[in-house]
Amino acid sequence: MSVSIGQSLFLIFFGAAAVWFGVVVFRTHSMVRSAIALLFSQTAVGAMFLVMQAEFLGVLQIMMMASEMSVMAIFMVMFMMDPGGLGAMDMTHQKRLSLWAGGIGLTFALAVIWLTGWGPAAQAAPAAAEQTAALGRELLGRSMFVFESAGLTILTAMVAATMVAIAPTEEHGR
Amino acid sequence: MSIFAILLGLAFGGWLMAALEGWAVHGRFSLVRPLASALALLGREAVVTRKSDRLFFETAPILLLVAGLLAAAVIPLAPGLIVADLATGALFLNAALAYVLVALIMAGWGPDGAYAMIGGWRFLGQFIGYSMLIVMPITAVAMRAQSLSTTQIVTSQAALWNVAYQPLGFALFVVAAMALAWLPPFDLPSGTGDLAGGIEAEYTGPRLAVLRLARMVVVLALAGAVSTFYLGGWLGPWLPGWAWSGGKTLAVAALMLTLGRHIPRMREARFLEFCWKAGVPLALVNIFLVGVIALVVPI
Amino acid sequence: MNALSGARQAMPGGLRGLVARAMAADLRAFVVPGLDIARAGGLDPAGAGLRLADTPRHANVLLIAGPLPPDLLKAACVVWAQMPRPRAILALGADNIAPLPAPDAIGALSQDGLAEGVATLRKAFAIGAFARNVTHFDAPALAARIEYTCPMHPEVISDEPGKCPICGMFLVEREVSGAAPAGDGDHKDHHGQGAHEHGKSAPAQAAQSDHSPHAAHGDAAVYTCPMHPEVTSDSPGSCPKCGMDLVPQDEGDAQSGHAGHSGHGGHEGHDDAQDIPGIEPHFMSMVELTEGKPASPDGLIMEWIEVPFGPFFPGLPGGLGLILTLDGDSVAEARLHGAKPIPLPSGCPVAELPERLAAAFPLTHVAMRALAHRAIAAVGGGAAAPDAAALERERIASHLNWLAGFARQMGLVRLERQGAALQRVLVGAAAADIAAAAPGLRRFLDRVRRTPLLRSKLEGLGGLTGAKGGPVARAAGTAADARAKDQAYDGLDFTPIAGGNGDALARLMQRFAEIGQSLDLIARAGTIASSRPSSPPPSTPPPRAGHGMATVETARGPATLHLTLSDGTVERAHLTTPFEDLAPLATDMVRQMELADALISIGALDLDPRRLAA
Repeated sequence: MSVSIGQSLFLIFFGAAAVWFGVVVFRTHSMVRSAIALLFSQTAVGAMFLVMQAEFLGVLQIMMMASEMSVMAIFMVMFMMDPGGLGAMDMTHQKRLSLWAGGIGLTFALAVIWLTGWGPAAQAAPAAAEQTAALGRELLGRSMFVFESAGLTILTAMVAATMVAIAPTEEHGR
Repeated sequence: MSIFAILLGLAFGGWLMAALEGWAVHGRFSLVRPLASALALLGREAVVTRKSDRLFFETAPILLLVAGLLAAAVIPLAPGLIVADLATGALFLNAALAYVLVALIMAGWGPDGAYAMIGGWRFLGQFIGYSMLIVMPITAVAMRAQSLSTTQIVTSQAALWNVAYQPLGFALFVVAAMALAWLPPFDLPSGTGDLAGGIEAEYTGPRLAVLRLARMVVVLALAGAVSTFYLGGWLGPWLPGWAWSGGKTLAVAALMLTLGRHIPRMREARFLEFCWKAGVPLALVNIFLVGVIALVVPI
Repeated sequence: MNALSGARQAMPGGLRGLVARAMAADLRAFVVPGLDIARAGGLDPAGAGLRLADTPRHANVLLIAGPLPPDLLKAACVVWAQMPRPRAILALGADNIAPLPAPDAIGALSQDGLAEGVATLRKAFAIGAFARNVTHFDAPALAARIEYTCPMHPEVISDEPGKCPICGMFLVEREVSGAAPAGDGDHKDHHGQGAHEHGKSAPAQAAQSDHSPHAAHGDAAVYTCPMHPEVTSDSPGSCPKCGMDLVPQDEGDAQSGHAGHSGHGGHEGHDDAQDIPGIEPHFMSMVELTEGKPASPDGLIMEWIEVPFGPFFPGLPGGLGLILTLDGDSVAEARLHGAKPIPLPSGCPVAELPERLAAAFPLTHVAMRALAHRAIAAVGGGAAAPDAAALERERIASHLNWLAGFARQMGLVRLERQGAALQRVLVGAAAADIAAAAPGLRRFLDRVRRTPLLRSKLEGLGGLTGAKGGPVARAAGTAADARAKDQAYDGLDFTPIAGGNGDALARLMQRFAEIGQSLDLIARAGTIASSRPSSPPPSTPPPRAGHGMATVETARGPATLHLTLSDGTVERAHLTTPFEDLAPLATDMVRQMELADALISIGALDLDPRRLAA
């Protein structure tokens, strides 16, 4: 698949935007700004999908992240007791551990990228409708088990997290 | 060319709907009043609150406008009269409208006012209610059309409009759309008696003008979505396609703007309860029914 | 060329002339002290071409309906300052509005006065919306001082930014009113309507600052009230102040504290952390930050914000000051205060008392006038002229006025308009006109009762028992009604209506039932004696000295006036209004309610915050 100059420029632009918003997440001192920065970082990744002609994935990413990050923002405000109200707040902590974790993660990701056999590059990206159909077949075919179990795991985690959060209420009731 | 036609349509529709909303809220219908209001807003002071999050405060109205315009971009007025005929149009509409939430949270947080902030977070609570009822009825619509493209969704209704084919989905989608556009009775984020304007409370002058315009664009985009998904879009006899889809959109928008004012404002907790205990199961039933009908009776 | 008192600084002319004309056509009023007062004064702002604004930020006309007491004038200054320029003042029936600038239009407190005022304002806007030189508005009520305080240690207060000497955290800004010393509880002066003074960055824990942060930490056997941290007990039970179940002290800590602790482990790593510009060297642990913060009964520790709703909040009666401490979206604390008592100058001649009292209570002026007449008559040992029909007419109008406001609060704009229109018809109608309007009114009430989702919204909301009188008590099944013993109702076959479970729905239904009852009473009375000062001159000259008392059942409940006269003047007057009975109950009622529900519940009480100084 050939990539035009315009496409690469946009790809670089959105990639840089994603990284920059990612940095802002930790540089800002407001939790809400942090959450929204993460949202726009993910939106930029979605835009990268669009540039790479993966229309469905891009639109899905852009849609999901808006709601997910907003919900995350309110959870941060709820469980972190409205940090915006408590003034400036440092978003970085455990720096040494984070540096190591980040470094190892980056190495691992790069290793996966370089070491995986990606197969021959396609001549041209299939049409968007075709992609969507193919994705649907994949999701309801070979990958169904993976996705269903991932979905179930997330649901369990959500229920468990809520249980952990509200358990003391019953204690109060006694 | 299509862009200008759509923008012109939005401007015209927004003006008509603003006049209609003025009638619904203040009891007087005047076609001149919305123009005067808009012009007057431009001349007023644009106050910025003292300790605002300036970035959020400034961005929110513009983000809302952009979200509304992007959503309107995938609504076809007639065959070929569409800004972007995406293969994933129905999903794109969702994606664009998801940023209404982001814009409202930013508008709520930005001005550093308690009313606005509560309004913004309340809308998030409301979102958790309506979001599934936007997505799931669209799923059923896409199932019948076997496509996410908005133009194909319209053509799939040539034999029978979706409002008759899946009335359950239609009802749920309209309710969810009204909640998305925070129209009464779901106007908690900006309710008069509850929050004295809420998210709009600290906006003045041109920023308020942009915010109100953006909200009207969102309403029109949603009404356009209803007419595209359920009322057969441009399909109809005698008149040209654009007249049909425009008329349907305006009629739906008018209903959305006026209907809810006869019902007391609904708290987000109650709305959430309705959505998850009744709405989501009904939406699942709708998907199931549409699936069965699509398999058994080919219409 | 006369500029508006609140003109915007710009070169007039050109395109701005067009904008100014648009503004003249688009007048949006913010009504002080409130729409209820305006309606009681017979105003119909929409009928005069005004649109109503929910917030001063969206208004360009400050509509003053009737005279304002000094404390409300101060709050009106804040509202005026919040309105974006160009802005104008329309004062109806209010002579002295200093420290507000001189009004751009004045008129009598009537619909004609309003219409004339609006016409004047339209001209004034078209000519003088923009001016080259504008005067800056400043008033003592707007003065605010910024001070800095530590989020963790509220006792640390500094005039300059810096770090807390105790914990090293950055101090946060806080705004305090005027030159008042820190910790002064009198907050209402500097937020009339407004939110922006008390936003998210204001450390709104002031109300809780008496809380000792480390009380009984680690002591397993101590129970405390989530609302009143000063209440501690060795055994579980309920709080003597609020009746809430006591919670084990250390459990709250464990929930918020230790759970968070594991998430933010590794404190030792921070001591040697590099000083990065823009990032504090201290990692702020949420455990430390929230230690000692009050926790709500659900166990979540959130920052509490204090939000003023009033005195000009559009969903509440005008002049009612409500300050809610919000814990998320539920009400942790409520403070409700009425208007500052209006002094009745001692030495006021007896003949003037009825009118003074009526002017002080615009919502129930007929009842107050009657009350004064009766009290004066009681001093002389006589009885006042029968006035039951006039009182009942006012009751209907008052209930309809409340209904309009309540409908506005719930977002039912059409119902608001209809209720207000009916109120305007009834407010001065003769008995025959009321009889003619009665069937329509009854049909209207039946329609309102059937409003979809109204029942489910109000049912079980704001249950209140323990009120001593008035519709609120009767809606809770207490058949207390001063009319039962009132001589004026002799022969009218009056029996109190009571019943219901005391929730907001019961209050609505109670008022509707009372409207129906009042219609019957008026029909039985046949005529309405005019209660205007001119018509019922006491047949005998008023008594000059002595003591007397009288009670009248106003639309909101019994009002009692104790009167001591000497030498033809009022020596002492003591008035008890239903507000004193209801206000303490209301603050208990809304505790732990969701914000929207709390406001609806308070709205359903129909409070009139005006009081008379003893």
